[in-house]
Amino acid sequence: MAEKTDVWQGTLALMVLKTLQAMGPQHGYGLARRIEQTSGDRLQLNYGTLYPALLKLEQEGFIRSRWGVSENNRKAKFYELSKAGQRRVLKAAAEWEQTTEILARFLSPMEES
Amino acid sequence: MRRFRALWVRLKGILSGGRENEEFDAELESHIAMHIEDGVRSGLSPEEARRQAQMRLGGAEQARQAYRERRTLPGLESLLRDIRYALRGFHRNPVFAITAIATLALGIGATTAVFSVVDRILFRSLPYAHDDRLVSVGLTAPIIPEEFMLGGSYYAWRDNQKPFEAFTSETGVDECDLTERNPARLRCASVEANFLPTLGISPILGRNFLPEEDRPNGPKVTLITYGLWSSHFANDPAIVNKLIDIDGSHIRVIGVLPKDFEMPTLQTVDVLVPEALDEAAQRKADPGRVMYAFARLKSGVTIDQARRELQPVFNYSLNLAPAPFRKEVHLMVRSIRDRQVHDVRLVAWLLFGAVLAVLLIACANVASLLMARAAARERELAVRSVLGASRGRLIRQALTETLMLTLAGAAAGSALAAMLLHVFISIAPAGIPFLVNAHLDLRIILFTVLLSIFCGVVFGAFPALTRPRVATLTARSTGPGAHNFLRRCLVVGQIAITLILLSCAALLFRSFRGLQGQNMGLQTQGVLTARIALPRYRYTTAQQQMEFALRAEAALRRLPGVQAVGMSDSVPPGEIHGEQIYNNIAIAGRPRATSGTGGMVTWRSVTPEYFSALDIPILRGSGFIEQERMSNDRSLVISSLLASRMFGEQNPIGQHVQPVPNGPWYTVVGVAANVKNAGLSGADEPELYQLRRSFAGDWNPFTVMVLKTNLSPVAAAPWVRSQIAAIDPTIPVDIETLTQTVNSLADRPRFETALLGFFALCGLLMAVIGLYGVIAFMAAQRTQEIGVRMALGATRSDILRLIAGEGVRLIVLGGVVGLGAALAAAQLLKSLLFHVGAHDPVSFIAVTLLLALVALAATLIPARAAMNTDPMNALRVE
Repeated sequence: MAEKTDVWQGTLALMVLKTLQAMGPQHGYGLARRIEQTSGDRLQLNYGTLYPALLKLEQEGFIRSRWGVSENNRKAKFYELSKAGQRRVLKAAAEWEQTTEILARFLSPMEES
Repeated sequence: MRRFRALWVRLKGILSGGRENEEFDAELESHIAMHIEDGVRSGLSPEEARRQAQMRLGGAEQARQAYRERRTLPGLESLLRDIRYALRGFHRNPVFAITAIATLALGIGATTAVFSVVDRILFRSLPYAHDDRLVSVGLTAPIIPEEFMLGGSYYAWRDNQKPFEAFTSETGVDECDLTERNPARLRCASVEANFLPTLGISPILGRNFLPEEDRPNGPKVTLITYGLWSSHFANDPAIVNKLIDIDGSHIRVIGVLPKDFEMPTLQTVDVLVPEALDEAAQRKADPGRVMYAFARLKSGVTIDQARRELQPVFNYSLNLAPAPFRKEVHLMVRSIRDRQVHDVRLVAWLLFGAVLAVLLIACANVASLLMARAAARERELAVRSVLGASRGRLIRQALTETLMLTLAGAAAGSALAAMLLHVFISIAPAGIPFLVNAHLDLRIILFTVLLSIFCGVVFGAFPALTRPRVATLTARSTGPGAHNFLRRCLVVGQIAITLILLSCAALLFRSFRGLQGQNMGLQTQGVLTARIALPRYRYTTAQQQMEFALRAEAALRRLPGVQAVGMSDSVPPGEIHGEQIYNNIAIAGRPRATSGTGGMVTWRSVTPEYFSALDIPILRGSGFIEQERMSNDRSLVISSLLASRMFGEQNPIGQHVQPVPNGPWYTVVGVAANVKNAGLSGADEPELYQLRRSFAGDWNPFTVMVLKTNLSPVAAAPWVRSQIAAIDPTIPVDIETLTQTVNSLADRPRFETALLGFFALCGLLMAVIGLYGVIAFMAAQRTQEIGVRMALGATRSDILRLIAGEGVRLIVLGGVVGLGAALAAAQLLKSLLFHVGAHDPVSFIAVTLLLALVALAATLIPARAAMNTDPMNALRVE
């Protein structure tokens, strides 16, 4: 089911899913830093909003979480994609591409055909 | 789908409690730690790194809050929290919760039960099409209590009336017998052919009567009721056009009436037959057959208009009446509903008023309780408000509590209502229509519950609406505030309403006692009556009817323990009996009276032993003697009331009297003592006894055997039954003790008194609880003041006076208001009262004293507690 009501919420969720798909299991902090890096540091996340978003994805069954140990030997909660999450990434990415493509047509200078 | 999954997980989250929040704390902690490590690695000082980490998180507490809200359903969670909080509060203060719930239950229960009954009586819809346009039309005269018509007038009215679109009649309900393999005594109503169409009823099977069937010697046809169809004909549709035997003749069933069919007079019926009157003969007859007329108003015509438009035909009938009686004949047009409920109406409204009063008291109590609670918690609310609870939050909390109380009260109230209704039905007298099929009405429960919710919301949430004053946090004690004034008003109102209820109940009670305790003028103990109605088709001649009665008399006299066996056509005090117009009775040697009817005279036809069976003393003369039964002499016994009216100081014995104009003359042979003969509450009528001689002409199919016995009635009844069955086993006999008969006459007043008494006591109880609550609360609020006063030298009795004085003021004020209102309300009861004035001082004084005593006790308890306050403790409270 596509989330269209809140674009920011939707995009954050997609970023999280996409990042998890690329990196495999990851804890919240690492996930946040990775998203910022991927954006070329053009995005600055409010980390406080990341956790409710993760919780929502988990409640919806797209991701799973378990406790593990980080690279620095610190106890941390790791998130990973579920089967449903993997399907979701593909679908949402396709939808997003379509949306941006349409929007791009509007935003680019109109060409007379 | 995914959303539902999330919703489900969040719902589960509510139940899982705090463990997951701790888990998030750990996750957050590790997040911050990692962030700090990163910061230190990039060269920041640990303090700066921590600051940055906190900043990027947007505050740990906010993050936690956002997480919590996502984890569960915040709205539902806070509701549950409110409920838990309220339950804790109730648990801590169970008296408050129990009182509130009990008060609500009583209010809701009593109101619902009574409403359910009253609704059926006053507001039910009649089973006729457009019943608002149906009226009962007729004449009223002292001789028949309800409006009636006479054959000599009815057809003239029908042909000349203008206000009605249809006009119909019935000639009453008689007993008849279904004489088949499965015989039964039925009730047959005789109706005009247009009776059902006028009422707007169509048979569910078959057809209505045809005009040619409603003529003398027309084809014999009948419509049967649904009840008879089920009980005797197994709901077989083939009954239509079948012949059944009624009173020995074959009658064709032409249809079945709807299930909810009822006669406009509410008489029970099993079959309808055409009245088959000879119209031409009736038109000429004077006065003609007694009939009951019903009509359908043309649309837009009111009852008042109809009454005016009927004036010409009424005048026509008036001219037919004997000139001296005309003043006592009136025209009556009223709705069928009015005819049905006329004497129950007042009782129904009385109950309605009583129950409304109880509901008001209950609401006032709940309001008062909630307000006291709110006042006591003012500081708590202020603290919560300062700590950041929004006003909406506080209101929601207050509403949750109120709703919980109300719902608990409503549940208990519904159970109580079901129980009360059951009790009402079992103690109610027979004469109240529709009571038996009264049932709890959901709309009414809903109404009372909504009313109490309204009450609770207004008074319970109101304090939360006003912003808690910050001053209450610092004030040394909570001030009296405006609530207390309102609460005092409520208590005054409660006391006033209770006084009204109590005084009405007391009046009815005194009246009831008077009714029961009065002298009947006859012996009811050890008297058994057996009513026999012979079927006319088998006992066709008066000779046969007399023979049966005489054989029964002889058989009953042989029974052991029977001291006297009298026979009559009716038995006082309540049974319907013969009546005649006083001025129609001629006395030898005196001119006939020419003006007015002179009222009615009760008339009975009895055998000599009637007097000894009922222990009615013969005051003068010999009375009837057994030998006279065979003689040709016509003799009379008159009651002493009639004797003094007819003959004054003269000796009535040997006087000649002609009871019926142009009839035979009789000789007065005795004066009997007066007996109550117009029911328990009616004024005694003069009475005339005719000797029932052993000549066929003195007999008819109806006989009451009156037995005086020294056996227990329970033992004697089966013997009586078997003696009569030995003569003819098919004759139904109705055996009753006279005590039972008299008791059942008092059923109605007993019912009224019991119900009103119940409500009055409920009201008293609740008002006293309310009063106690207010005084106790005020005393508690003034604990410190009392401490100061005592420290400054006030004695204990000063304190008692201070607190009790408050209560006494409320009682006096409520008492005065209530007494005034009660005196006015008692006027409405007037017609229900017997031998008690509406302003009976005994009742009012007793009730006022009772209320004052109970109310004083309710104030003294908290006042004494205040008196025993230890000043040191009182001052140390803060």
